[in-house]
Amino acid sequence: MTKQKVSYFFNPDVGNFHYGTGHPMKPHRLSVIHSLILNYGLHKHMQIYRPYKASAHDMCRFHSDEYIDFLQKVTPQNIQAFTKHLSHYNVGDDCPVFYGLFDFCSMYTGASLEGAMKLNNHDCDIAINWSGGLHHAKKFEASGFCYVNDIVIGILELLKYHPRVLYIDIDVHHGDGVQEAFYLTDRVMTVSFHKYGNYFFPGTGDMYEIGAESGRYYSVNVPLKEGIDDGSYWQVFKPVISAVMEFYQPTAIVLQCGADSLANDRLGCFSLSTKGHGECVKFVKNLNVPTLVVGGGGYTLRNVARCWTYETSLLVDEQISNELPFTEYLEFFAPDFTLHPEVVTRQENANSKQYLEAITKYTYDNLKMCQHSPSVQMHDVPGPAISEDEKMKEEEDPDVRISQDLEDKMVEAKNEFYDGDKDNDKDDSKT
Amino acid sequence: MEDTVSTQKQGKDEDSPSKDKLFDPSVELLLNDFDDEQTLEEEEALAAGEAQDQDAELSNLQKEGNMPLEELLALYGYQGENQENESPEEEGNEEEASIEMSETVENESEPSPQEEPSKLHILYGPIPDNDQDESRLLRSVSRVSEEEEEDYDYSPDEDEWRKVNKTIMVGSDYQAQIPEGLCHYDDALPYENEDKLLWNPSEMYGDTVEEFLKKASAITKPPLPIGTQLRDDEQALYLLQQCGHNAEEALRRLRMTVPTSATDTMNESLWSEEECRNFESGVRLFGKNFHLIQQNKVRTRSVGELVQFYYLWKKSERHDIFANKARLEKKKYALHPGFTDFMDRFLEDQDSRDCSSSPNIQCPGNGKPPPDT
Repeated sequence: MTKQKVSYFFNPDVGNFHYGTGHPMKPHRLSVIHSLILNYGLHKHMQIYRPYKASAHDMCRFHSDEYIDFLQKVTPQNIQAFTKHLSHYNVGDDCPVFYGLFDFCSMYTGASLEGAMKLNNHDCDIAINWSGGLHHAKKFEASGFCYVNDIVIGILELLKYHPRVLYIDIDVHHGDGVQEAFYLTDRVMTVSFHKYGNYFFPGTGDMYEIGAESGRYYSVNVPLKEGIDDGSYWQVFKPVISAVMEFYQPTAIVLQCGADSLANDRLGCFSLSTKGHGECVKFVKNLNVPTLVVGGGGYTLRNVARCWTYETSLLVDEQISNELPFTEYLEFFAPDFTLHPEVVTRQENANSKQYLEAITKYTYDNLKMCQHSPSVQMHDVPGPAISEDEKMKEEEDPDVRISQDLEDKMVEAKNEFYDGDKDNDKDDSKT
Repeated sequence: MEDTVSTQKQGKDEDSPSKDKLFDPSVELLLNDFDDEQTLEEEEALAAGEAQDQDAELSNLQKEGNMPLEELLALYGYQGENQENESPEEEGNEEEASIEMSETVENESEPSPQEEPSKLHILYGPIPDNDQDESRLLRSVSRVSEEEEEDYDYSPDEDEWRKVNKTIMVGSDYQAQIPEGLCHYDDALPYENEDKLLWNPSEMYGDTVEEFLKKASAITKPPLPIGTQLRDDEQALYLLQQCGHNAEEALRRLRMTVPTSATDTMNESLWSEEECRNFESGVRLFGKNFHLIQQNKVRTRSVGELVQFYYLWKKSERHDIFANKARLEKKKYALHPGFTDFMDRFLEDQDSRDCSSSPNIQCPGNGKPPPDT
């Protein structure tokens, strides 16, 4: 297997938002992760992008215009004027209006969108956006800390090139927003592993939700009970994903790595270790299908940071030491300062072996139906996209100032020393 | 980083003595040391919650005084009538829609459960009634520890009509529009102008990069001592990539840029003692409402910078002192049971704050008078 090319998308400002006092969602975890990634030296093995910021127009590829318009306009100052809209769009409680809300959305959405685009364009095999993965957002309302569904928007971009896109969700919560968006189509299969029962959020994700119309059998739900550990999770995850690959044969994958399925999460109730969680990521990576990896939930900051840093190392195939490197955030990891602290949990595993076997079999039987489903056609996969080189040649108007991105790429030629307007030795450059 | 720490230490020395006389903090400090195991939020909530409770309550009371009656009623939950008046039509539509939808979904999925042996049903355990209100809130179903309850001063004011069934909805209002067929990108990639490639690993290999970094750090002389491990310099690597991975060129440029950029970034990133103190008094007043803190206390920094600073600050010694002080203040009030009147407390608070903080509030440059609560 040739080494997969990994691209990493991170906007340095995306961590500097705050949902408000007492809110468990802490965007600053993203800055902590980025700092760990840098200090482990993992960035040397990936292309690092400061991504595009999604416009309202991009968001409206999935969401309703009025909803996005509302998100764009509302601020903590003028919130009084929107009282009617707040409940209509489910904004206020779980999804507060905080300072910079729309900016935040456009940063994480832009990163997922661009990741999808680079995958389409074969610029990379794996695209990572830890700031994305907000899987609860609905077409016209916010839900569960999610405002804009970057996953749906990313998948819609992938669908331009890919006949079949697989979505895998290992967040402790059901990936309801994504499932609902693609409930009627066979071009996207959504597979979610989550806690279900006892009013656990969001309340959907029953195993009988299998999709409808042409999408029947293309929504897969694996409801689990609290306290599931590494062994039990693997017992379900591996056979289900293997069966999905066998019967659905996706040409692209989106993996949501919600870290609230780790033990001791502030909101979650599973007992996975970072290694067990990472095992799923490794498995998906080894399927060798173009993959967009996004974040998601995760409410115990230090564990999220550990988890996604470790998973970044898995995705770039680099071993990193258990001892955390020095970062400005080191104090957050007291007292052990390690990447894989021992999992101590009082939560008992409520998933019996029989239950897991039964749910796996049920899923398998449903997946078999896809095979015979007439709606899966062999689509024509388009040839390779326009290559970077071609793009450069097609640069038309020399009077128009070229973009920063192109400029960056142009200087990649090793024998080229002249470097744009700011170059000091312009005079003796050999033009 | 180190510089920040040292200013923080100074801060401690200046701040602590007056308070120490009032109460021996050793027990508090001990306790503080032990809650390492607890979540960050617990520590946070202790510090911020205590500091802000009375202020928040006061400002709320003030706001309510100026509120029109209807809003006030709504605030306290008398919202039934209002809501019905506002949206009778929507209510109808919504319910119709949801009934329709849930029917389709149920019809579609009904056959499969019957085929399945009932064994699974039993193992499956209690299947919850899905149309519970709780299921709309992610937070409410979590294990709420005591200190979080304090935090959650929102009331669950969900509207009746929005309590739709928790099923997957079907209809053009819910599904995404799937692009038909496959396509190529046009000549130009849709977002090619907007992103920025900061580093591309495929152009160079480990050893050369390391050598470059070593040379680069000799030039930039980073404030932190270089240990056995070579630290990465993002800026230097970005420069290297801009120079088409020509190490010599990058070093040459690095040498040229270093004097200016180094001092620039130092000035930008280091917080002055005054900024720190204003930030702390902001946290005391507004809790974690960083926008208000920015508006009223630390105008020299962006809200984003405040958030970032907050996370570094809360793990510093400076924060421990701050938290202990807040705790002590609370103790003091508890010791004077006659002191429950909020107005008294408010005035007293103001007085003590004015004494302690007035020297810091002279904000140079913007000439804004010290904000009043």
